[in-house]
Amino acid sequence: MTYSIEFRNVSKRYRIGSNLSNLRDLLGARREAKNAKYHWAVKDVDFALKPGESLGIIGPNGAGKTTILKLLSRVTQPTDGHIKVNGRYSALIELGAGFHPDLTGRENVFLNGTILGMSRSEIKERYDQIVEFSGIAPFIDTPVKRYSSGMYARLGFAIAAHIDPEVLIVDEVLAVGDYAFQMKCYNRMDELRAKGTSLIFVSHNMEVVRRVCDRGMVMYRGQNVFQGAAAEAVVAYSDVLRQAARESKSVAPKEHGMSQRAMTFDAEVKNVTLLSEDRQPITVLESGTKAILAVDYQFNKDVQNPVFAFTIRTEDGRIIYDNTTQWMKIKTPDFYSGQHCRVEYTFDVALLEGSYELGVDIAAGDLSTYYDRLERALGFWVKSSGGAKGLANLDAKVTFKELASNGVAA
Amino acid sequence: MQSALGIKTLYNHRDLLLAWTVRTIKARYQQSVLGGLWAILQPVATATIFTIIFTVFIPIDTGSVPYILFVYSAMVAWTFFATSLVDMVESLIINMNLVSKIYFPREVLPIAALLARLLDFAIASLVLFLLMIYFQVPLFKANWVFLPAIIVVQLMLALGLGFFGAALNVFYRDVKHLVALGLQLWLYATPIIYPTTRVPERFHPFYFLNPMAGIIESYRDVLVRPEMTTLGTYTINGMQIPYLLPSAIIASVVLIAGYWFFKKAEFQFADVV
Repeated sequence: MTYSIEFRNVSKRYRIGSNLSNLRDLLGARREAKNAKYHWAVKDVDFALKPGESLGIIGPNGAGKTTILKLLSRVTQPTDGHIKVNGRYSALIELGAGFHPDLTGRENVFLNGTILGMSRSEIKERYDQIVEFSGIAPFIDTPVKRYSSGMYARLGFAIAAHIDPEVLIVDEVLAVGDYAFQMKCYNRMDELRAKGTSLIFVSHNMEVVRRVCDRGMVMYRGQNVFQGAAAEAVVAYSDVLRQAARESKSVAPKEHGMSQRAMTFDAEVKNVTLLSEDRQPITVLESGTKAILAVDYQFNKDVQNPVFAFTIRTEDGRIIYDNTTQWMKIKTPDFYSGQHCRVEYTFDVALLEGSYELGVDIAAGDLSTYYDRLERALGFWVKSSGGAKGLANLDAKVTFKELASNGVAA
Repeated sequence: MQSALGIKTLYNHRDLLLAWTVRTIKARYQQSVLGGLWAILQPVATATIFTIIFTVFIPIDTGSVPYILFVYSAMVAWTFFATSLVDMVESLIINMNLVSKIYFPREVLPIAALLARLLDFAIASLVLFLLMIYFQVPLFKANWVFLPAIIVVQLMLALGLGFFGAALNVFYRDVKHLVALGLQLWLYATPIIYPTTRVPERFHPFYFLNPMAGIIESYRDVLVRPEMTTLGTYTINGMQIPYLLPSAIIASVVLIAGYWFFKKAEFQFADVV
């Protein structure tokens, strides 16, 4: 069986600092410029996909994920190694890339379709399907500058997923759509894969990678540090995050008033799970219910009165809720080396529909150091039956009361 | 090799080229009150000011052709050349968000910029025909068969320079300013506001190495000089050379070199942020 994507020992180097290169560099003379600094965005990455296979690429920001996508879609050329993509591809590198704001949705379907390599008549054939899938038919003759980011994503995905791509490259763009549309997209990806489309999927959301991909690849600082089953990749990724935190000198000093020390790993987070009230593992929470966050710790040293904490953030990193056992005025016991312990937080899902991220940590009782900290331990989705928009579910009730004719309450 | 492959890819993307050209035209005239009238305004305004200067202040002899027709017939082609070159040079930079995110043959952008100016060229030409009718210049002479050839030579020259300029402008923003300055000087090195009869004969061998000189002279001979029935020629060492010949040779070389350079540099477009 032949591969639909071959990405062989690929490296990509960028020049940092001044962009000015002389004409000889432009013409491809492979000559090191003096005084130039280089940065390897991707180093020696190797993978191959057969038709119908899917690979999730995960990693923190700046790990080289986007560079891999750009290399795959031929936007940029590798410094070393070789890349072969067989068949028509479709890249969704960024939300609404290739849309012209002044043109209508309809005009953009044609423009975007031709950019992706389709002919006009091919687009015409698929036009109805695309519009139907996007679910924005009433707005198709509105200039896209008036679209919401969700509508951009809907139309963008609908176009790319209907050109019968042999290779589909999906970046994080789906995060802005609503839950129902995301599900529709995942189903469409499954359909395409069943027909032999290879899928490359980039996301921060571990649950989605597990859902969509059979294989996973973890990137860290331009290197491929893990490649294997998607479920294992998700575990490997949390190790990478810890590694990243360990190497970084300042670990969010402001929030907890902590000194800028790296983690010590005197205690480690081993497992993080979300449970429903009846203790079933869940990733979709119902707005207005209660949920349980269970965090398993392992202690590698004797530790006195540590502080446990968890944080809920929006996808763009804004903190919605942050609490610690210290702020709750809870005196934690002492733990000894080798001990395991589970901490459970029961909380109200007072959030509205959307995608959220959960972080956990454990710190010394005097807040001098973190023992362990996972900023993005878990992603979850909140489903809401009401129509309210925003972040917090304040559960507003409404009443009407007739006033006397002078405007004073009777 | 690479360039040959590029042309095939470009052919496969012909629908994109068309769509992008239409998009460029729409975007240019959207939210503009005068719209397509701008295509006329620029050559008419410059032709008018030169007509006032060179018929009232410093009268110039343009033979059988009234000065306004003399200058406007050149100004239409020159405006097309200058505006399309400026647009082409800018075409990659203003679409960098696209270039850095999606792959498609990058030459689509400068070519579409050029094609989009063809519409302006056509609109401005309509005014030229009205002037020709007013001054009772014979229409549809036999030598009009050369018109397509003159236009093709001009397109080749503009495209070649546009490829160079667009690619270089991605790396050095000075190019944009250099092109603006260059076009200003080039206007005076070309027989637009004065006839070639005012250029001393011993300069002719060099003067007609300016490809725009041959192109403009040919347009004029074909369109507004009633006595001309074929392409105009000039003489070097007793040899009769059509004005268009050196222009065509130079335009071909510029186009091939420009495209080659563009294809060489295109792999680095997305890496420049």
